[in-house]
Order: sequence, then C-alpha cells, then structure tokens
Amino acid sequence: MTITVYSARRIITMNPNRPFATHVAVRDGRILGAGPLEELKGWGEVELDARFADKVILPGFVEGHSHAFEGGVWKFPYVGYFDRISPEGKRFKGLKSIDEVVAVLQAHQKTLPKGASLLAWGFDPIYFGGRRMDLADVDKISPERPVVIIHSNFHVANANSAVMAKAGITRTTNVHGIVKDAKGEPTGELQEMAAKYMAYRAAGVEIAAVLSDEQAVWRFARVAQLAGVTTATDLHNELADSTVEGYLKATASDDFPIRLLPAFAATSIAPAEGVPRLQALMKKNNDRLRFQLVKIVTDGSIQGLSARMRWPGYYDGTPNGVWNVGPDDIDRILLDYHRAGFQVHIHTNGDEASEVAIEAVERALAAAPRWDHRHTLQHAQMADAGQFRRMKALGMCANLFANHLFYWGDIHYAKTLGPERAERMDACATALGVGVPLAIHCDAPVTPIGPLFTAWCAVNRLTASGRTLGEAEKIPVADALRAITLGAAYTLKLDEELGSIDVGKRADFAVLDDDPLAVPPEKLKDVGVWGTVLGGKVFEAPRSGR
Amino acid sequence: MTIPFTVIGGFLGAGKTTLLNRLVRGAGGRRFAVLVNDFGALDIDGGLVTAHGGDTIALANGCLCCTIGDSLVTTLLGLLERQEQFDHIVVEASGVADPGRIADLATLEPQLARDGVIVVVDAAEVRARAADRRVGDTIQRQLKAADLLLLNKTDLADNLPALRAWLGTQSDAAVLEARHADVPLDLLFGLDRTGVSAGGSTADAFASWSYTWPEPVARDALMAMLREAPGEILRAKGIVRFADAPDRRSVVHLVGRRLEVGDEGPWGDTAESRLVILGLKPVLGFLQRE
Repeated sequence: MTITVYSARRIITMNPNRPFATHVAVRDGRILGAGPLEELKGWGEVELDARFADKVILPGFVEGHSHAFEGGVWKFPYVGYFDRISPEGKRFKGLKSIDEVVAVLQAHQKTLPKGASLLAWGFDPIYFGGRRMDLADVDKISPERPVVIIHSNFHVANANSAVMAKAGITRTTNVHGIVKDAKGEPTGELQEMAAKYMAYRAAGVEIAAVLSDEQAVWRFARVAQLAGVTTATDLHNELADSTVEGYLKATASDDFPIRLLPAFAATSIAPAEGVPRLQALMKKNNDRLRFQLVKIVTDGSIQGLSARMRWPGYYDGTPNGVWNVGPDDIDRILLDYHRAGFQVHIHTNGDEASEVAIEAVERALAAAPRWDHRHTLQHAQMADAGQFRRMKALGMCANLFANHLFYWGDIHYAKTLGPERAERMDACATALGVGVPLAIHCDAPVTPIGPLFTAWCAVNRLTASGRTLGEAEKIPVADALRAITLGAAYTLKLDEELGSIDVGKRADFAVLDDDPLAVPPEKLKDVGVWGTVLGGKVFEAPRSGR
Repeated sequence: MTIPFTVIGGFLGAGKTTLLNRLVRGAGGRRFAVLVNDFGALDIDGGLVTAHGGDTIALANGCLCCTIGDSLVTTLLGLLERQEQFDHIVVEASGVADPGRIADLATLEPQLARDGVIVVVDAAEVRARAADRRVGDTIQRQLKAADLLLLNKTDLADNLPALRAWLGTQSDAAVLEARHADVPLDLLFGLDRTGVSAGGSTADAFASWSYTWPEPVARDALMAMLREAPGEILRAKGIVRFADAPDRRSVVHLVGRRLEVGDEGPWGDTAESRLVILGLKPVLGFLQRE
C-alpha cells in the first residue's frame, strides 16, 4: 500500500481545525492526512510527489446543479457571445456579432453531408444592441439544409426558411412563440415549445438519445474536469435505460474523471413507480456514479418570463409565469419521495415557487417527520430573508444560481425584477447570515461549468455590463470557496465523504496555478486550473485552452 | 391525410381521467392514440391489453395509450414515426398546462390537424380555484384556451345558473354539461375521416344534422351561418365545393367557436358538398334559416 505525499505551495483544506497545510498524504484513493511532511511520515514509508510544489490544492470542486446535456450539446458547434472551453480543452472565442455567427456556421456547414441538418447552440443576441437574428441571416448559412440555432437559454431558437417552409409557417400561422416582424412576417425566431419542436424536428427525434449517450457523458465529465470539478450532478434526468447504460459504461472506466450524481426527474413517471425504480438503480451505484437524488421542476425561468412570482410580479408588467408542476402536485410528489427517505431538489426560480416549495416541505414534515432530509431549493433566485429563515427552520438547503448575476443581471435590473429585487437576487450573504447551508451553481449548459467563475460571481456580483448588483449580498472569497466545495457537498449529502481535505475523505482535489485567497477577489475567475485528482488519480487539464 | 389532434385540459380533479377512460373503452372502432401523464390513473381492463411495452399499452380495440414522460415533444415525434397504427391523437394536458399551447403543436406539424381543445371543468371547485392567488391565473388561461368546455360534476355545483353565467365571462367556448364526464364522444372527438361515429352513448339531448349540396356553395353564406351558429352547435365538419373555388376540395371544421377552412386538393369527382353538424337539440332557429 503506497502512501503518496503531495507537496504544494499551499493546501486550502476547508477543515477549520487545520485550514492550511503544505502536504497531503493519499493512500487507497483516500486522504490519510494533511499537514507537515514529518507528521505524515508517521503513517509509514511515503513517496513524495513534488509535481504540485508550486501549485495550490483545494478540495475538488463540487457542482451541485449542472446537466450532462452540456456534454450532449458539444456534439454541435458553439456560437455564444462569451469564450467557452470545449471538452477537448479548446477555447472557442466568443462571437461578437450576428455576422460572425453566420460566418462561423457557413464554414461549418461545408463539413456536413448534403441534406443534413445544422444545429448550433449558445447563441445570445442580447449583447448585440437590440438587433435580432432573422431569416435573411440564417438563410446565408444555407438556404437548403435545415438550420436551427439554439439560444444560450435553450428556450429560443432561430431557424432558416427551409425549416419554416417545411413546417408550413407563414404570416397567417397563429402559434405562440413564432416571432413576427412589424409587417407580420415570421422572422425565423421561435420561442419555447415552438423552438423545441422545430429543433427536434430538424434534427430528428433520435437526437434525444445522442444528447445523453455514453459519449455525451464523457464530454460532460471532461468539461467539468477542466474547471477543477471532481463531483458533478446531472440534475434532472428521466433515467431512460439507454441513459443509465451510458452512465454505467462511462463510469466503469478508471479514466472517467468525475463522480456523477444524476437526479431522477420525479414527474416523468408516477411516484409509485418512480420510488422502486430509483431504489433499484441505487444498487448499481459505484465509486463514480451515485443514484440518490430526486428533482422536481416547479416553475420556469425569470428571464424566460415564466417564473412564478409573488406580488408585485414582473417589473415590466409581464403576466405571471407558468407552473410546470402545480402546487397540489408538488405536495403529492414531494411527500411520496420524502416518505421513501429521498432527498428532493426543487427547482424554484420565482419567489412564489419558492414559497410553495417551502410550504410543501413544511407539510411533508408534519405528515412524516424526518431528520436531516436536506431538501434543497435549486436556484431560489428571488428568495428573500423571510424565506431563508423558513428554510433554515425546516432544515432545508439552498443552491443559488450565482452565475445569473453576470449573464442576466442587467436584464433583471432593467426589465424582469427591477433594481431593488435584482440587487438582492441570489442572496448568498442573506442565506449564510441566516444559517442556511449554501451552494452556488452554473446550471450548465445554461452557463458554462466553472466553479471559480461561479465563486467570482458570488464575491463580486458584477453584471456583464459591469454593474455591481447588490453590494450587501457579496460574500467573502473564503465563503464562496466553501460553497463550491464542502457547501455543495452538504447539499448532496456527500459532506462526510468529500468536500474538504480531511482524514478519511476521498482524495479528490482541484489543483490550481494560483492561490484563490491571495489573488485580488476580482481576479478569482482568472485563477488557472492545472487539473484535478480523483480518488488519488491525477488528471492534468490540456494546456491549450487555458 | 392529416391526423386529428385533440387536447384535453383542465385542473387536477376536474375529470380528465374519467373522460379518457370513457374514450378508451368506448372508442367504437376508431383507433385513438392517447397520451397521458400517468398510466396508473387509467382504468384499463387487463384482459383488453394486447401489448405492454414500457411507455406504451396497446389495447384489443386498436387504441394505444402512451405516457408522456419528461417531454411531450419527443413523445409525439416518436409516435408520428408509427402513424399507421392510429387514426386520432388525444393528449392529456397536465393539470397546470395551458392546453392551447399544446394544441399549437398541431399547427407546427404538417402531419397533424388541430381538432379541439377540450377543457374539463369541475363544477364544484372551479370558482374557488379560479380565485386562488397561486393557481387562479392558470385556471383562467385554461378556460380561455378552450374550444369546448366540459362542465363536469354538475350534480355537485352549488348554483349552476350562476356558474354558467360566470363561465361565460371567462371563455367564449361552447359549454357541454355532464356528470361523471358522460357525454357522447362524437361531440368531443368528431366524426372520423370517413364520417364514422366514435361511438359512445348518444343521449337524447344530442343530435346530428347532415346537409348536402349538389351545386357549389356560397362561401360567405356558409361561413356566416357557422360563425353565427347558436351555442348549441358544438361541431361541424364538411367537405365543400365553394363557388369561388369550384376546383378545390375545401374542408370546413368547426369545434366550439373555432372555425377553420383548409384545402385538401382538387375537387375530383365527388358528387356533392356535405356538411355534418353535431350539437344539442333542438336548435330550431338555426335549422329554419337553412
């Protein structure tokens, strides 16, 4: 049994008894201890590994809300505004105009077989000064083959004339989500159900399997690993047999670089069938794959104008959003999984959705008292101090969508929430102050996976335009680092196993080029990730994209 | 040929499942593909099941039941891959969904023909639900989206006349009253492509009228007649040769207050125009005008 001791410039442990160390000893994939070399030698003969001597080691990052779909979409070209790193470690430069997007896809379509559809993703027109993409733009990419460009929010898309003609969409088509210009002609922009239907129709229904197959899981794991992540969730999946098979095959490999936690989509089948299904899946758990989470999606998104909000609702007067699962069903589904002993993660964007979810947990606890359930609100972007106090009292956790502050903060300030509520959205400081266990997340592929960036958002609360969105809700770097390690692990009930560098825990590390506690807080997102260690196995990130 | 596409909406507990059970049992030779949220809620006699394959149950009478699972879009696209197996698609909207948005799929998909949006209403509960601050707007959107309202559980309503009056303020849709969702299926799902009935119990209160015209029909007159049809007229379906398009086979389709005219190709050698109207009887004024 070899003991490997890694020396480092600094080890940040998240263990308050010994917050910093210079060496960490690993045996059998687990942590023997962190401290001075002399102490660690007491365990027996050690092999000193100095490759991280000038690096900084943290517990491996834990992404508590992401989707393996991130790996699925990388099968297609990325055309977003911001730079993004591919699973291969290649940096795709952000495209700063519609013409740049068109040019990139014109080149790409030449590589496709005749007649094949072209799908692209990540497009975000909100930074183009009001100009929207239209049919003329997309037709320049290809007038013949079906072309669908999916926006970064995954709820809107732009199609070309070939797609529109095939579906028979004209100025007389009266369907929600088909955007028309001032003259009443369809522009090719499609929203919500219309966007989803046309994308699937253009791509063929078999695309659904491709987006979550074994290769997609691998690509997801690689993207996560490049960002220093060692544990990530696939936080809403109906767990079709083919998907489960993909997970099992991928995670059977010693080279698979992360631990993966899928969350079962609770509304995909009735709880009476879902509970035994999930219990059966748990028997297949291994070191890198853990079935144990359940997810309920209650409302839509704030920027998609589909969040369920309490009074006074949307700042710009947009009517209240929509329920995906209504209040009665939330109660019923939550109670069934709660009784069966599962931890339930509840997607709530608007504050009415959070309120309903909190009350559902309250009723579930009255009906079936349970300790340490850790039911977690996911996003909870509009939760206020009162809601956090209720969550604390009920033993709930919060995983807040800090990346939203940067990517959509300006829209929230100006249109959806208005200044006051935008300044207290994703209220990390309030959650910590009240004592609600806190994680922060990216919701990849909605925003890129990158816990240091997510921490940077929570620390600096800067929008894309540079506005500081709520001075009072900023949190210190140390707290943010905890939220992407031990804090996130707690919300997944893995905190006794990982999330800090402590005796007996798994040897999962993020290896950084610099010290996140020493760099200026506004530089936190720029700290380089050298790679990761998973269960004692070293995964170096490719250099090219960094 | 396009496949008729019907959406059944309505809040939790209104009686959507009861209606679907009636449909599946009383399909009368038409092969419905019924997309539901949960098989478990359906009351299907095990002896009728000819195949059970995970998310699909095939019945001896030709109907298919499929669970929607996580995504209606992918379930529907999968279903369209085997469209030789059914004649009509019926989707059960979730209790909080806007059924009108789901019906939009039939407009987006050339292989589908939007039939009706039927919203089932719980006569005892709807007003309290509509006043609830969390779900009231959801209920209102559902009522507004309906082509036909099935006012169910009328035996449990406190004040039926007041409820009828209130529904009239919420929706333009035609209203059909029922207990235990017991209504003739033809009224809800129409006649099939060949004019064959969907079956089910035809209560005395309902009737159908059939018109034929050997000569081309004046479009304006027919449209005006249907647009101004009294609320008791719930459905109309016709293959019509209009005077202004005598070479075309125009399809007239009325569900509740929604009137559509489509084009089904050249008129061909069909002898005469034909229109079938379904509704509550008697509707004497309407008939006299003819």
